[in-house]
Amino acid sequence: MMKFYIQKERLIKSVQDVMKAVASRTTIPILVGIKIDATEEGVAFTGSDSDISIKSFIPKEEDDLEIVDIVETGSIVLQARFFGEIVKKLPEAIVEIVVEDQFKTIIRSGNAEFVIHGLDAEEYPRLPQIEEEKSYTMPTDLLKTLIKQTVFAVSTSETRPILTGVNWTFANNELTAVATDSHRLALKKAPLQSNIENNSVYNIVIPGKSLNELTKVLEDSNEPIQFVVTENQILFKAKNLLFFSRLLEGKYPDTSKLVPTESNTDVKLNSKDFLQAVDRASLLAREGKNNVIKFSTLEAGTIEISSYTPEIGKVVEKVKSLAMDGEEIKISFSAKYMMDALRAIDGTEVTIYFTGAMRPFIIKSNVDESILQLLLPVRTF
Amino acid sequence: MDGNLSNKAKIIFHVDMNSFYASVEMASDATLKGKPVAIAGNVEERRGIIVTCSYEAREFGVKTTMPVWQAKKLCPHLIVKQPNFELYRKASKAMFQLLRGYTDLVEPVSIDEGYMDMTHALSEHPLHIANMIQEQLLRELDLPCSIGIAPNKFLAKMASDMKKPLGITILRKREIPTILWPMPVHEMHGVGKKTAEKLQTIGVVTIGDLASTNELQLKSLLGINGIRLKERANGIDTRPVDPESIHDYKSIGNSTTLPKDTTIQQDLLETLLSLSKTVSARLKNKNVYATNLAITIRYKDRSTYSRSEKLANPMQTEKDIYEQAKRLFIKHWNGNPVRLLGVTGNDLVEQDHAFKQLDIFTYEKDAKEEPLIKTMEKLRDKFGKDIIVKGWNNYHKEGQTDTGFNKDFLRREDE
Repeated sequence: MMKFYIQKERLIKSVQDVMKAVASRTTIPILVGIKIDATEEGVAFTGSDSDISIKSFIPKEEDDLEIVDIVETGSIVLQARFFGEIVKKLPEAIVEIVVEDQFKTIIRSGNAEFVIHGLDAEEYPRLPQIEEEKSYTMPTDLLKTLIKQTVFAVSTSETRPILTGVNWTFANNELTAVATDSHRLALKKAPLQSNIENNSVYNIVIPGKSLNELTKVLEDSNEPIQFVVTENQILFKAKNLLFFSRLLEGKYPDTSKLVPTESNTDVKLNSKDFLQAVDRASLLAREGKNNVIKFSTLEAGTIEISSYTPEIGKVVEKVKSLAMDGEEIKISFSAKYMMDALRAIDGTEVTIYFTGAMRPFIIKSNVDESILQLLLPVRTF
Repeated sequence: MDGNLSNKAKIIFHVDMNSFYASVEMASDATLKGKPVAIAGNVEERRGIIVTCSYEAREFGVKTTMPVWQAKKLCPHLIVKQPNFELYRKASKAMFQLLRGYTDLVEPVSIDEGYMDMTHALSEHPLHIANMIQEQLLRELDLPCSIGIAPNKFLAKMASDMKKPLGITILRKREIPTILWPMPVHEMHGVGKKTAEKLQTIGVVTIGDLASTNELQLKSLLGINGIRLKERANGIDTRPVDPESIHDYKSIGNSTTLPKDTTIQQDLLETLLSLSKTVSARLKNKNVYATNLAITIRYKDRSTYSRSEKLANPMQTEKDIYEQAKRLFIKHWNGNPVRLLGVTGNDLVEQDHAFKQLDIFTYEKDAKEEPLIKTMEKLRDKFGKDIIVKGWNNYHKEGQTDTGFNKDFLRREDE
């Protein structure tokens, strides 16, 4: 029915990748499984939770090396939980997978032999059919950076479901990604190639969870990655990998007017020193309940970062700014949001632009114009 | 008494300082002695409200929460002082320290009152010890107090109220029918104006009436609190004296049984609004914010559901609480007839540590208040942090004598 030999290391990698899409609980029972398709070209593994689907392909040969030896083509669905554990623990470098009658599947490696009951591959839902009408490409590592610099700011609460996604706007061969949980906002721009006209503006909202999983399965490389957008799906096509994600329905709020264009106080800081000072100040701030620190400008270009937690104690630290311009300011904000923002901005120097203690402020890299982080302060009483 | 040690009747003191703020002022400034003195909470005297006043002022009819202009009318020589919380905190700290000299089991209730469990700390007759405490407070701190002595907290509290100033009153269990029961029910600790009004509707006028009211009737009128009040009216109160209790206001809630089971959403929402109002008032009273809000729905068939949600921002105002309660209700109500509704604020944090993470879509509302807040901050920097509090705290009194500053004080005491 189906029989092939495969290199264990490649098998493990593919199974681990598609496992990221397999749901532990699902309304469609067969989705707890991984689908295996052995064809003349190689073996494909598919996992899906119906929001995300991942297909990983292992070709018969690569760089003149044989990876898979197909004896008989066929398909089967195996319980992901067991299959994932089994392949990791097999003893030898070569694994034999055979499907016999009634979906009985034998996994052999060295002297170890597992017999597990598979499910009928015919029952497994088909992957979305994607017409390549809107297609874009950019280097894989740039895409990964763009995701990492924005996805952390999505909302984790379902109060406004649209905010759990990242808003991608395509215009003039540029992709702008925006994420906000309404307390902070992350924005990143990146150039991309497109098969459609330059001027058509297009925007989609991709679930934050999908993008997080995508960065885990994409290799670090500057090879181009292609993505195809349809009405309700996005498909990322990398080498030997297809990653489908459902898109969020609904209108993403217009964030373009929310970013202040003027400021009253500009403070330029060494990013690393400032991050570490914020980290120290937040040590005492109560976990979850109140992770708030206070930022005050002092004389002579110095700033003070402090936090006070009644049962524990207080911390005060002075940090020398690289440059300071404008009115003095005292402002409180979440240490966690500040650290997230500083980590997202990859640069040695940052400038924070304040407009008032109760107004959003922005953080920008001094060398990279393509990224912007915005934070809302915390009002204290 | 059956002689079993663990069942031995307790001896609880309730120490209640007499017109505390005014007394402290007098103790620190001898020229005020014997004069009508009032403490008012507003810099602008005429709009201020009397927080407390000396007995000399009370003789003129001056009362707590009376506006200053009205008090001045009654007593033209009234000396009105602004509160000096540093001074009161210091005095209160010294007062509790002195009480701890008699027993470790001292439970501060507010800045000027506390319970002492003297059961195992008596070397002499309780009356004698109470006299010693009263004299020592007067001699060392120049502060008068009244002390109630009884077998439990409730009775001790009632007793301390009976003779003021400088009273010592023993209230024995056997004296309940003769002393407690004839008293009007609104004088009972724990019965506020609203509760007294409700009780009136079922013909309960005296504490004695309450003591003999049918439990089911009380429960339907006042909920679980009704049962508790009836127990108290019968002199039953098992709460221990807990020195740590001031540190945990765990939750503040209110629930009500509807006049009749209903499915009319508007009536239910109105009930939620009125519950939110009470919860908000109580939070304000204690100067705390809720970081988690829960609602309780009991259906006609008595099945009861509680649903809570962690809040992004600690909340205190009626509007915030109602909106959250409404959201939770609409999310969880199954449409069946509702018998009882409840709103509870959980995981309370103190005002000083409350904060609000601003929202990009709504921050303009807060930004508008910024100039005002800047002014307040400047005043605080200049005159100390209690000089100005936005909105008068004591405005929200509802069946309790706590002043808004007390909690704050008690926290500091332990630093």
